[in-house]
Amino acid sequence: MARMKFLCDADRCIECNACVTACKNENEVPWGINRRRVVTINDGKPGERSVSMACMHCTDAPCAAVCPVDCFYTTADAVVLHSKDLCIGCGYCFYACPFGAPQYPKVGNFGSRGKMDKCTFCSGGPEADLSPVEFQKYGSNRLAEGKLPLCAEMCSTKSLLAGDGEIIAQIYKERVVKRGYGSGAWGWQTAYKENIAI
Amino acid sequence: MLIKRKTADVQRGRLQAAIAGLSSGVMDRRAFLRRSGLVAGGVAAAGALQIGSVRKAEAAGLGPATGTKIVKNICTHCSVGCTVKAEVANGVWVGQEPAWESPINRGSHCAKGASVRELVHGDRRIKYPMKLVDGQWQRISWDVAINEIGDKMMQIRAKSGADSVYLLGSAKFSNEGAYLFRKFAAFWGTNNVDHQARICHSTTVAGVANTWGYGAMTNSYNDIRNSKTNLFMGSNAAEAHPVSMQHILVGKEQNRANVIVFDPRLTRTAAHATDYIRIRSGTDIAVIWGMMWHIFKNGWEDKEFLAARVHGMDDVRKEVEKYDPKTVEDITGVPEAQMKRAAETFAKVKPATFIWCMGVTQHSVGTANVRAICNLLLATGNVGGMGNGANIFRGHCNVQGATDFGLDISNLPCYYGLVEGAWRHWARVWDVPYDYFVTRFDEVPAKGGRPARTRKANMETSGHTSTRWFDAANLPAEQVDQMDNLKAMFVMGHGGNTIPRMPDAVKGLEKLELLVVADPHPTNFVSLGGRKNGTYLLPIGTQFECAGSRTCSNRSVQWGEKVVEPIFEAASDYFVIHKLAQKLGFAEQMHKNYEMVQGKYGPEPSAESILREINRGGWSTGYTGQSPERLKLHMEHQDKFDLVTLRGAKGSPVENDFYGLPWPCWGTPELKHPGTHILYNTSLEAGNGGGTFRPRFGLTRERTLADGSKVNDTMLAENGSHSLNSEIKDGYPEFTMGVLKKLGWDADLTPKELETITWVGGNNIDAVNWANDISGGIQRVALKHGCVPYGNGKARANAWNLPDPVPVHREPIYSPRVDLVAKWPARPDERTLRIPNLHTSVQKAAVEKGIAKSFPIVLTSGRLVEYEGGGEETRSNKWLAELQQDMFVEINPADAAARGIRDGAFVWVSGPENNSKARVKALVTERVGKGVAFMPFHFGGFYQGQDQRGNYPKGTDPIVLGESVNIVTTYGYDPVTAMHEGKVTLCQIAAA
Amino acid sequence: MRFGAHIRLLVTGLLLTFAVAFAVPASAQQVNPTADAVRERQFLDALKGNPQAELQGRITIPDQKAATLERPAGRDWRAFHQGTMLRIAAIAILGTLLVLAVFYLIRGRVRTEAGPAGTTITRFNAFERFVHWLTAGCFIILTLSGLNVTFGKLVLLPLVGPQAFTNLSIAAKWAHNFLAWPFMLGVALMFVIWIKDNIPTLTDLRWFAAGGGIIGKGHPEARRFNGGQKVVFWSVVLGGAALSVSGFYLLFPFYAGGVLNLQFWNVVHGIVSVLMIALILGHIYIGSIGMEGAFDAMGSGEVDLNWAKAHHSLWVEEEMQKARAGADNRLQPAE
Repeated sequence: MARMKFLCDADRCIECNACVTACKNENEVPWGINRRRVVTINDGKPGERSVSMACMHCTDAPCAAVCPVDCFYTTADAVVLHSKDLCIGCGYCFYACPFGAPQYPKVGNFGSRGKMDKCTFCSGGPEADLSPVEFQKYGSNRLAEGKLPLCAEMCSTKSLLAGDGEIIAQIYKERVVKRGYGSGAWGWQTAYKENIAI
Repeated sequence: MLIKRKTADVQRGRLQAAIAGLSSGVMDRRAFLRRSGLVAGGVAAAGALQIGSVRKAEAAGLGPATGTKIVKNICTHCSVGCTVKAEVANGVWVGQEPAWESPINRGSHCAKGASVRELVHGDRRIKYPMKLVDGQWQRISWDVAINEIGDKMMQIRAKSGADSVYLLGSAKFSNEGAYLFRKFAAFWGTNNVDHQARICHSTTVAGVANTWGYGAMTNSYNDIRNSKTNLFMGSNAAEAHPVSMQHILVGKEQNRANVIVFDPRLTRTAAHATDYIRIRSGTDIAVIWGMMWHIFKNGWEDKEFLAARVHGMDDVRKEVEKYDPKTVEDITGVPEAQMKRAAETFAKVKPATFIWCMGVTQHSVGTANVRAICNLLLATGNVGGMGNGANIFRGHCNVQGATDFGLDISNLPCYYGLVEGAWRHWARVWDVPYDYFVTRFDEVPAKGGRPARTRKANMETSGHTSTRWFDAANLPAEQVDQMDNLKAMFVMGHGGNTIPRMPDAVKGLEKLELLVVADPHPTNFVSLGGRKNGTYLLPIGTQFECAGSRTCSNRSVQWGEKVVEPIFEAASDYFVIHKLAQKLGFAEQMHKNYEMVQGKYGPEPSAESILREINRGGWSTGYTGQSPERLKLHMEHQDKFDLVTLRGAKGSPVENDFYGLPWPCWGTPELKHPGTHILYNTSLEAGNGGGTFRPRFGLTRERTLADGSKVNDTMLAENGSHSLNSEIKDGYPEFTMGVLKKLGWDADLTPKELETITWVGGNNIDAVNWANDISGGIQRVALKHGCVPYGNGKARANAWNLPDPVPVHREPIYSPRVDLVAKWPARPDERTLRIPNLHTSVQKAAVEKGIAKSFPIVLTSGRLVEYEGGGEETRSNKWLAELQQDMFVEINPADAAARGIRDGAFVWVSGPENNSKARVKALVTERVGKGVAFMPFHFGGFYQGQDQRGNYPKGTDPIVLGESVNIVTTYGYDPVTAMHEGKVTLCQIAAA
Repeated sequence: MRFGAHIRLLVTGLLLTFAVAFAVPASAQQVNPTADAVRERQFLDALKGNPQAELQGRITIPDQKAATLERPAGRDWRAFHQGTMLRIAAIAILGTLLVLAVFYLIRGRVRTEAGPAGTTITRFNAFERFVHWLTAGCFIILTLSGLNVTFGKLVLLPLVGPQAFTNLSIAAKWAHNFLAWPFMLGVALMFVIWIKDNIPTLTDLRWFAAGGGIIGKGHPEARRFNGGQKVVFWSVVLGGAALSVSGFYLLFPFYAGGVLNLQFWNVVHGIVSVLMIALILGHIYIGSIGMEGAFDAMGSGEVDLNWAKAHHSLWVEEEMQKARAGADNRLQPAE
């Protein structure tokens, strides 16, 4: 089974935010929840780079490890999902997440922020695939339809890659060879404990 | 523990989907509207929130998009022309899928494109026609609206003339809409018809067309993949044309191409450059001449190219000598080494392309800026081939098409101009007597020392520009060169916050007797000023709610299908223009060639039939081969086109065609001309997309030698330069019947073609040319012999008919370098397009008042990726609005520290005119250099610290409001097109 | 287990976040932005020197939390939360229970040597007992609901199943959130009413030297509170304060100033909690089955005089004196 991953090639990312609105569009994500976001490092300085970031669907995910109610699970595609029925909204996953992925529907104090929401790699949740209730709680399930996350599919410069980890790593490596330098696959080492050289 | 999902579950998905689709109570469109309270009758109560919540429920009820049909249209934002693939279920647009097959975007979008669905189902759209009665918005019907508007227009016409009604069209129109609106203006009898091109690339069109023939991007986004050097100037493609960056960055990687960015700001584009060069705003000519100085000095120019295809480069050489490195560094701030490196790279690492946008065009020397760039391209031989050229990234989704179809004060559709021949040509195409149009125009009385104008003369006089519409309302009638001041504005799809001097616009708005705003969202025209009556708001469908073609920046024409019916009580552009024409009494004449179809509220012309009429008349620009059938075939077979050459694959139904039949696509559709991917490309046959420079500036040019004697230089190509396999192996003039006869090629004309030519020519058949021969025979015969219908001429380095034939650096009207104003002053006061243009007076006054001391910061403006244009539609889109919630000013940390300004704090930005000021948030960043500030131009709805949300009809106010940068921007207009100086002025910033 | 990392988390984590700043070429006028591009390598290198480093950038949405691109420090917290914390808790709580059990087996119940006197003396009045039980009651529920966060999924979840466990955890969460307040009130009141009797003195040293009378023979002298009780008092007051402060930030995360701080407070809360739980287990033991007559002090408030003399001889004397003085005063007019 494929191991799904995200890879943002920072040399291509131009902070156009297509990934962000594509995510909102596909999953009907409400205002205030940012399953995906683009962060610009060294803004305005030479060497500035932007990186699109969401849940990286880590290997041995910290969120899952610290969840007090064990509401996370990993699919056969190695996508890290969670059950909103089981989530108690405690926020521990946010403490543990290296990428700031977990989001909460309400701005509030401990335990009053509602069920955690995060990127699902466009693959829904524990409900039946492609059921309305799955859509309502988790958004669309493109993986079940044989499609990849819309953020990556719509990326303006093909900077954000999603899919089988080996394939996207290959694509990235080919680019690096072509252009002669890498951009650092941001987050790969942290998320997948894998050092994609260059 | 949860049971992990098994593979089998995933595969079962589709079946489950089908079942879910059946059981989830999918709502049809009617039910959706009913539950939204939006069917006629229940509308008044429908507030924004209510609809929003219903929509959520509706979306949830629908579940994931299943059992849907796919409709293809084109993104309505920038000019790249990304294909949008809409999933539609029961008349509701439920999802967007990537359009992998489009060679332009290959599935990609930017933030705007990825959220266009919300634009159509947005709950902040104008829901029904409204009028302002004593400051209150009242709902009215379409019939009442059109009746009242028509009556008022007739009343104003009777009193002040047709010219006192300003028809402001849109770059958001389809080609057919733009053409119809221009035609409407002709029938109404005015040339006061304009659109966003005025404020975006009017100076480009003027500058480029005056150099080599056509005012458009010479190559394409895709072709940049071939470039080895990309030079950006005043273009922030990463934010303004994000999908173009796909091609640029791939080219950069694969060719290891140089990317040089000249900009006052370290933009998101500059961050990806290999060489970023900060320049002072408003010094573009000095920068280009600075590069040329090195090129000429080192002999890096392309001498062969210059000899064969360019006229007058020696005049440029003389001017450039004044721009030695020291002078240039003083003016622009660019050190010699850097300038030399850029010049050498551009001249030697070929093909090199020059990409520019509004950073170049929006200046009081905009046309001259463009001309300087063209000269750089000519000098280095970087025009007319793969990977080079003037890649002018246009702004709106159809600003190219709207320009092509003459939504312009000085042109009939397809750049025919306003001369009698042009009017006669279109009268023939429209099948309306020429004399009819003459009667529709005003007679202009003599005033202000200017002679009177007859109806015919007025008909041939360029109109008043949109950049200064309020001046035409505010100035004393004597200064305005038309029958009367402006009394009415009919604004269809144009923002109200996009041009400088908003305090003057506010005064102008108050003077108008009638203001009609027809738009999907209420624009800033609605919220600005204190109008109480005589204002109408008409709901218009977006281009996703009607069918039609649109031309992207690279001249490819793409057909968009209607995705959904116009939402709420919105109607299509076609319907509104037709209905108003009907009210004004010329609909029958105007629409006689069209197939009328039943629209939502009544008959409207079909887009296909309008395009067919365009095909019958658009000879001069090669808009004749793009029949609806061919365009639809292209959309159907998008995947058959090559990504780089845009050529249709062998054996496919679109074999050999270039994608979207980029104009010129010569001859009739039956001729199957493939379109022209790259303009002026002599390495292809004329009939296969090749071309030459267009000789439109005479055949010879007199030149005085040093000894006083005169010689005539040819303006036709020399040294055997010609398009591939041309039977004429040197330069040649445009084709006319007379030329054909001389060559003996008239025998190739069919009897039918000859008959038409005879009909057009009357008693002077020899004068019938390639552009007004409605049969297309002359074009066909020229192409048959491998010749380009418009001729084979030289490009002009010296454009002697323009104000600065060879560009010279001129300090901006509001210059921070007072010391340089004396040496490089603005042009003397003059009249530009019906009103005075006081370059020198304003610049002098600014110097005398010491403006540069009290307003020490250079202010420039530009785009954000999330918003577009005036921004109402994007600021009303919740997915986009969330990403930019506040208007801001970028300020350098040093300037901020000196003023005690923190990042994120409110500041007052004040401008040098009208005591203008704007309250915005500070974004302290090194993107801008010291002494420079930047503001985005998409905001509106706040005015000098005052929240005007209440001025919008309830529930239609954009989610995000903010001060417009144009509250503080200032005077300054290009002498050719009256382009405003939006990219450089002065301001002061203080903590609020 | 990288213990050092956790110590750093505790100690150097210190309320401050470290954003990484990368070196920037001096002149922004003349640059090759591509060659100067920020690479992740730089960040990973910076992490080696400072594991607390987080990578911050600029973001357009107002939620400034989102401007943090990467914060690998979460890994250390996770390792703490899922490893160290579990071990500390297990050792502290189970260890204490074990020690107490062993102690009980060896020492048995501590009897009042003199046997019951039959007369009682008031040790705690009604208000004092109310404060004690208020705090104690809250503490027990806070303990159980708190332990549920750490151990629930290991112990309870397999027993009751996911949905029931979630429901229980939600109830526990609300109980924890709301009972924290009366607990804090209780601790504060205890501090006020018992501080005067809990100032450490030399007597306490002697008390400790004598093993508190439980381990050795004979009873060391003690005033109202003996050395051991003072330890409990101060632990409850200081530990309670630490739990209150850390709990406050965890409850109102927007005052904490960033996730790194939340992680820090979470660590404080966890460690202090389990230490207190262990201590209170001892307290409960000695106040119930561990010592005859001790429970009465907080039960009825009246303790047997002999018990009091054995354990708090000085206090009994003081009380007697007070009583005598009071009696003298009362008797005087009659003389």
